[in-house]
Amino acid sequence: MTRISTANQFETGVSTLQQRQSELNLAQQQLTSGKRINKLSDDPSAAARAERARAAEARAEADQRAIDASRAAVAQVEGAYGDATELLQQARELLVAAGNTSYGPGERRAIAQQLSGIRAQLFKVANRADGAGGFLLSGQGSGGAPFVDAPGGVTYVATGGTAQTASSESLPLSADGGAAYLAARSGNGVFETGVGTSTGTAWIDAGRVTDPSQLTGLPYSVQFSVGGAGTTYSVLRNGSATALTNVPYVAGQVVQIDGMAFTVNGAPANADNFTVVPSSADLSVFDTLDAAAAVLNNTNANVGQLNQAVANGLRDIDAGAAQLDSARSEAGIWLQRLDNVETRVGGQKLLAQEERSNAEDLDMVHAISDFQLKQTGYDAALKAYSQMQRLSLFNFLG
Amino acid sequence: MSASGLMSIGVRALAANYAGLQTSGHNIANAGVDGYTRQQVELQTALGQFTGAGFFGKGVDVKTVARVYDQFLTRETQTSRAQASFDTARLDRLQQLESVFAGGDLGLGQAAGSLLNAMVDLASRPQDLAARNVVLGRAGELAQHFSSAAAQLDNIQSGVAQELGAQVTQVNELARQIAGVNDRIAVALGSGQSPNDLLDLRDRLLSDLSSHLQITTVAADDGSVAVFAGGGQRLVLGGQASTLQLTPDPYDASRVALGITEGATVRPLSASLVGAGSIGGLLRFQDDDLVRARTMLGQLGAAIAGSLNNQQALGLDLGVPPGAGAPLVSIGAPQALPAQTNARTGGGAFVSTVTLTTVDASQLLASEYDLSNNGSGWQLTRRLDGFTQTVVDDQVVDGFRIDLGTPAPAATDRFLLQPVTRAAGSMARVLSDPRGLAAASPVTASGAGGNTGSATVASLDVVSPTVDPSQTATITFTSGSGAYNWELRDQATNALLSSGSGTWSAGLPIALNGFELNLAGVPASGDVFTVAQTAFPASNNGNALALANLRDAMLVGRVGNGSGGLTGGMNITDTWAAAMADIGVRAQGAMTASSISTQVADAAKQAWSERSGVNLDEEAAKLMFYQQGYQAAAKVLSVAQTLFDTLLDATR
Repeated sequence: MTRISTANQFETGVSTLQQRQSELNLAQQQLTSGKRINKLSDDPSAAARAERARAAEARAEADQRAIDASRAAVAQVEGAYGDATELLQQARELLVAAGNTSYGPGERRAIAQQLSGIRAQLFKVANRADGAGGFLLSGQGSGGAPFVDAPGGVTYVATGGTAQTASSESLPLSADGGAAYLAARSGNGVFETGVGTSTGTAWIDAGRVTDPSQLTGLPYSVQFSVGGAGTTYSVLRNGSATALTNVPYVAGQVVQIDGMAFTVNGAPANADNFTVVPSSADLSVFDTLDAAAAVLNNTNANVGQLNQAVANGLRDIDAGAAQLDSARSEAGIWLQRLDNVETRVGGQKLLAQEERSNAEDLDMVHAISDFQLKQTGYDAALKAYSQMQRLSLFNFLG
Repeated sequence: MSASGLMSIGVRALAANYAGLQTSGHNIANAGVDGYTRQQVELQTALGQFTGAGFFGKGVDVKTVARVYDQFLTRETQTSRAQASFDTARLDRLQQLESVFAGGDLGLGQAAGSLLNAMVDLASRPQDLAARNVVLGRAGELAQHFSSAAAQLDNIQSGVAQELGAQVTQVNELARQIAGVNDRIAVALGSGQSPNDLLDLRDRLLSDLSSHLQITTVAADDGSVAVFAGGGQRLVLGGQASTLQLTPDPYDASRVALGITEGATVRPLSASLVGAGSIGGLLRFQDDDLVRARTMLGQLGAAIAGSLNNQQALGLDLGVPPGAGAPLVSIGAPQALPAQTNARTGGGAFVSTVTLTTVDASQLLASEYDLSNNGSGWQLTRRLDGFTQTVVDDQVVDGFRIDLGTPAPAATDRFLLQPVTRAAGSMARVLSDPRGLAAASPVTASGAGGNTGSATVASLDVVSPTVDPSQTATITFTSGSGAYNWELRDQATNALLSSGSGTWSAGLPIALNGFELNLAGVPASGDVFTVAQTAFPASNNGNALALANLRDAMLVGRVGNGSGGLTGGMNITDTWAAAMADIGVRAQGAMTASSISTQVADAAKQAWSERSGVNLDEEAAKLMFYQQGYQAAAKVLSVAQTLFDTLLDATR
């Protein structure tokens, strides 16, 4: 038989009640905060998990800010390239008009002035600021405006490439303006025809490739000689004679050599020569407009020079516009990719939030039933205690 | 036979029953007194008187009033109470500690994350002073978080020291009282009867003492008990009590240690010998849990500060001309604390000092170290895991260098090394100029315009301060399978400085001149990549990218892989989460231990009270029993009186 000490009975009863009360209190705390973990010791590993998830969430937010910065930059770049292509289109129309043989020097001069205006606008567009102290087309960094009007033509005073964001996936923050404006392929993209010496009125077209497999990649020159036998020409390959030597010249007739075909028009003078060199990636749209405007401004230009200027101008504007277009479409693709990246980052953030919620949030259904169970338990304990404490032998004595 | 015989029996019976009533009354009166042992009257039959007609009983004698006492149960309540107070004291402090390591939006982990995430914005807009100011603000917040966490730990430490002081005072008072009661018990026992209430008082004092300190008791023949604490140190012997004393830790004056006075000397009581009791719990918390918390905090702080400052130094700031970045945050220096017993000069200063220097913050461990000489050399013991190794002057261990100084310490000198313990306490942001943030990389990589392969520059990391930006590196691929030639040329004169060749394979960086170039895609033969001095540092974000990459860098607790490299380690988020879990598990474990030991103590108390406690119903029954006995005895007296009167009447 177990003896019960009256004082201990009271004590045990009270401490059990207190314990139940504190359990009830904890359940109530959890219900009000909605959190399963209110302090580390409630579940250390879940607390650590929640902390990691919280870090992932903060990181997704930082990534989102990087995406926003990148999108702002890329959208502006895309706009700037669009503006530039539009300006080049206007220039092209003007140049086509300048080819009109009925135009006199005055009209050509007006066109030249308009071309200069377009060039100035283009320069401004190329040096557009990004609104944050930098420039859109500054590549991997520039000291100031990336394009500078230097004596030898417009130069790109910036480091090529693109600046990247620090997000999980690298995103561009700028564009390589040098590659877009100053690095179109010259000529027709494979070879470039040009004027060596021209005292006559002849001009050469841009030419085309007839058989890519025969291309040599060597420089050629077309030498004219006007003498008793009429006008003849010889094509030299890298300074050496070829099969085309002293061929009678017919204006507009195609000259074919080593997979290339080009046409010389007009009347060449004796010792005139034209060059055909491999194309290089250094065509500047600014130089193109400058060169065209210079010829149109020249009141003494003969028809050959004018035609040459228009032909070269159109050729180069087209090449420059194509280069800008490709840069613009690259920006467009980036905008699309940014959307994808944003979706991914959003997904990661959601995942992190779910992870955190799983780790530290309370299962409400479970918690409420738990709370009710504890409430019932406490209620029963209180009742039992009050009943028990009424029992005493002294109540029945005397 | 005489009537007086019956009278005498009646009187004895009256006295015996009265004694029973008195004892029950005493029990009822003391029913609520904690530690009161119920008493009961022990009666014995008085030896009979021999007559020719045999033995006639002479009534009853009160033999003694005895305690219903079980030595085993009493001792059990004391030891179980000591364990319960140990666990409860430690739990209370650990619960304070876990609030320092709380996670969530206001936690330290979040502050570290915000700082590094702000680097993303710095990378997006390296020229934007607002983004730079945000980084500085976040760095300040982080340093503030670390130093305030350390200050909270200091507060907890001083709270522990104060409470230990109060407890030591109580222990000394209890020991003094026990010694006094010992004396009184010895005197009272001389009378041949057991002084029950004094014994109860002493048991209660012993029980109170046990809740502070684990004790062992040995009973002496004179009834006194000797009390020993701390593995055999005499606390009370007869009427003499020694005193406990709180002394500063021999190394670290901010911590306290326990000592016991023996005459004029104070003998130290090590925490492991103190054992259970709330004093033991507090010492254990101070020496183990709090040190762990401090070192974990310091390790993380030192690693973050070290990596941030290193990365700052590798980049260029916005200064004119751009210079290497100045340190962003400062931390408390590593310390080597000499033992108070180390050799001193005549002036009282220590003869030799040991200095620590952090070499690689990423290799620091969350531990303190003991440095002592075993006669053949200096032994360094890592307290974290007890790993011991022999060290020499200027040796680098776990990321710090030990400089034994001149003159070298004496062989009897001992030191406590704290490479990270104080790191977090004085953490502060030291960079105040937003232009001082080194967002730019000193070198920039770019692929040549004519490259035909798909390779692009994925990243360019400056990994060593030896990088020389005036040397332009050109890497020319000579095959489609990654073979390349490189040359370094002087930027100004284009003079060839050095050249060589190598083979690139996907995922491996090309390391030259203190930088590492990572390519994405596959280079074709003839592709050229150039790494040249950054022409426009103001708008470059190369180093900001590297700073943001610290989020994933394994920069805490790396260990050597045996071949000069480093392996292992954790990133900042994981380190913080692990520290949280460590403290959380400690608190959780202490909670479980405390609830178990409290239950054990309660059960012991219950077992004791079942034996020795007062049951009022029982006492009520006894009251009735003795009352009836008393009434019956009175009746015996009355009968004796009547007999006497009858006799008187007969002789009248």
